Amino acid sequence: MSVDDTGRSDRPTQEITVTVNGESVTAEVEPRLKLSDFLRSHMELRTVRVGCEQGVCGACTVEFDGTVAKSCMLYAVQADGREVTTVEALSEDGDLHPIQEAFHEEHALQCGFCTSGFLMATRELLAENPDPDRDVIEGALADNICRCTGYQNIYDAVETAADKLEGE
Amino acid sequence: MKPAPFEYHRPSSLAEALELLADLPDAEPLAGNQSLSILMSNRLASPDHLVDINDLAELSYVAADGQSVEVGALVRHREVERSGTLADALPLFPEAAGKIAGPVVRNRGTVGGSLGEGDPAGNYPCVAAALDADLELASADGSRTVPAEDFFIATMFTDREEDELITGLAIPREPFPPARTGQTFLAVKEAAQTWPTLSAAGAVRVDDPAADEPVVEEARVALANAAEVPLRVREAESELAGEPLTDAALAAAGETAYEAVDPEEELHADETYKRELAREYTKRALTTAHDRAVA
Ligand SMILES: Cc1cc2nc3c(=O)[nH]c(=O)nc-3n(C[C@H](O)[C@H](O)[C@H](O)COP(=O)(O)OP(=O)(O)OC[C@H]3O[C@@H](n4cnc5c(N)ncnc54)[C@H](O)[C@@H]3O)c2cc1C
Ligand code: FES
Ligand code: FES
Repeated sequence: MSVDDTGRSDRPTQEITVTVNGESVTAEVEPRLKLSDFLRSHMELRTVRVGCEQGVCGACTVEFDGTVAKSCMLYAVQADGREVTTVEALSEDGDLHPIQEAFHEEHALQCGFCTSGFLMATRELLAENPDPDRDVIEGALADNICRCTGYQNIYDAVETAADKLEGE
Repeated sequence: MKPAPFEYHRPSSLAEALELLADLPDAEPLAGNQSLSILMSNRLASPDHLVDINDLAELSYVAADGQSVEVGALVRHREVERSGTLADALPLFPEAAGKIAGPVVRNRGTVGGSLGEGDPAGNYPCVAAALDADLELASADGSRTVPAEDFFIATMFTDREEDELITGLAIPREPFPPARTGQTFLAVKEAAQTWPTLSAAGAVRVDDPAADEPVVEEARVALANAAEVPLRVREAESELAGEPLTDAALAAAGETAYEAVDPEEELHADETYKRELAREYTKRALTTAHDRAVA
């Protein structure tokens, strides 16, 4: 796969091999290609949302090398030899992940643009702290912006997700 | 929001990274990319080469002995925030880390990047100024140590040469034995995503925490985003030292801070407002540090 945003072939590219959602992918990329653009446009992983492209909104949040990161603040070349996980990997065989179910049940989204980022941040929070209180939840989601919901339903969903995961 | 083209290098050792920085023209170190990527996306920076230092495991350490605390340049904000060693020895450092953005940014952002950026609003430059830290710098030619006070020269302008890396930070422990010390880091900020309008780092050592009127032996206060460098306000410190804490001494300390700062006006904070914040947060930082010292 050759990846070039501009269609120009005179710029040097670099070969990378990345494990994306458990599968090894090899691609030729320009060093300046952001991981967010690589995942969304070239891997067609549409849960990776590109919002502000400067580290503020959190819509592009993925798991990179074991922790969540804003993929617009990583270059795809940095992912060479590393693992990346997106929301596509959360649901198994079409069944929603308990965190996704909780967001659905609690109406934790309206337009849904921000949701993937919140799901990834929530997943890391609950892996580290299975029973967070409201303050901890707010702090853990502080890198993610939602322009629709007013956040309360999102915080409720995280609590519901914590209960679901505990019951598993 | 696409950066200009560049070449990417990922060295696996400090020596290799320093060679690259020495050999490549217009090369920039890449650490957490939580600041540099924003500059590059907005084309405020367009280096020809990025030297990714994320694989330099040798720069990822936190160590403390009786004399000093040493923190490597590649330690992430999240690790600073959660370090038991730092919480015991220099609690204002993890407190400052926890007030940077949210956890997703803190997972990536590093100590060295925050210092290297040289933003006078930054949390760590303020911590380094308050605690009299030494910055350790290395190049292919050797290494040197620069006191924080000399390292920060002006907004986004430091004493670092282009071929140098910050390898870490060394902070003396002698002035602040934990049993008789209180520390704090206060930030005035609208939201996690915004940089602080002003921050204050405070540390106070008393003679005897159990005494009726503990005497302040040593006080420190430094302010972020109050001048073009992180500003240690020595005049405020000396208002407190040598006597038990009084409202009069705190008020005097606040006044010296009001005068000492040289703040840049911002959209939501004019110069007078920032001076008033400097006065108030100098008092709050010193009071909080004192209360923690005697608690
Ligand atoms: C939404 C958001 C909010 C933020 N809020 C705050 C805040 O409130 N307070 C605060 O202090 N910071 C804040 N930050 C900035 C954050 O702390 C950055 O992580 C930090 O300033 C830069 O660290 P980095 O490792 O990401 O460095 P990078 O972005 O990789 O690099 C920054 C600069 O330092 C240089 N550099 C990096 N490492 C070294 C080194 N070892 N030696 C020499 N030069 C080096 C780079 O070349 C570059 O010029 C915020 C960031 C974001 C995205
Ligand atoms: S698109 Fe990455 S943080 Fe907004
Ligand atoms: S649901 Fe629309 S931005 Fe969050």
